Amino acid sequence: MNKKVNVLVACGAGIATSTVVMKKVEDLFKENNIEANLIQIKIAEAASKQDDADLLISTTVLPTQYRIPAIKAMSFLTGIGVDKVKAEILDAVKEIQSA
Amino acid sequence: MSDDTALKVSDYLREPLILLNTSFNNTDELFTGVNEIAFEKGFVTDQFLPKIKARESTFPTGLQLEDRGVAIPHTDADTIKKEFVAIVVNQQPISFKRMDDPESTTPVKVAFVLGLNQPHAQLEMLQSLMGIIQDKAVLDKLETASNKQEVQQILN
Repeated sequence: MNKKVNVLVACGAGIATSTVVMKKVEDLFKENNIEANLIQIKIAEAASKQDDADLLISTTVLPTQYRIPAIKAMSFLTGIGVDKVKAEILDAVKEIQSA
Repeated sequence: MSDDTALKVSDYLREPLILLNTSFNNTDELFTGVNEIAFEKGFVTDQFLPKIKARESTFPTGLQLEDRGVAIPHTDADTIKKEFVAIVVNQQPISFKRMDDPESTTPVKVAFVLGLNQPHAQLEMLQSLMGIIQDKAVLDKLETASNKQEVQQILN
């Protein structure tokens, strides 16, 4: 059994775009049999919550450097480059699970 | 209301908050224009305008699509008294800073100002909004809509 990954899903207000991305990431993980805890946050909370998480997925620009891998996922909103960002997320999860 | 009640963008349209043929020159003018009506009609608190301006400058909401930009400005839930999605179709494109790169801008004719106060409870509406944003034909129709009823029909 692969390790369950803890994922922060962030946007500016933690109210609109992260809600959409949460669902997309949930579906992506389900399709790929990845077990994950998804936590919806405001990007401002990411720095303090990163210690309990393996991966950050955000729809905003990243205001700082994080110790965990961070992926920008506006593609889920615009529909442009969705396959690329999905691959990026799956690669990051693979790396986390093999660490 | 049960969680599985699918709500679409059209359920959040409010007639006074469909603004067509506006001539705003920048985002501040657009927010001021929307706020004037939203505040008067009791949709927002007096904190809405300062907060949405501040929010847009820190975390901009312009989305660069293949052939145009759209924007989905929104701000904290506690500034919203009654939920809405305001639609602004400006005569000329307005420069919005991009969500993925605030150093760049995107030209926006159609902006969807989101007045939401139920975190997590509006997934269907937001998904329906993303469907609209990703549909060039729908955006074309919105850009040329001549009245509010037409906007409601396009989004229904």
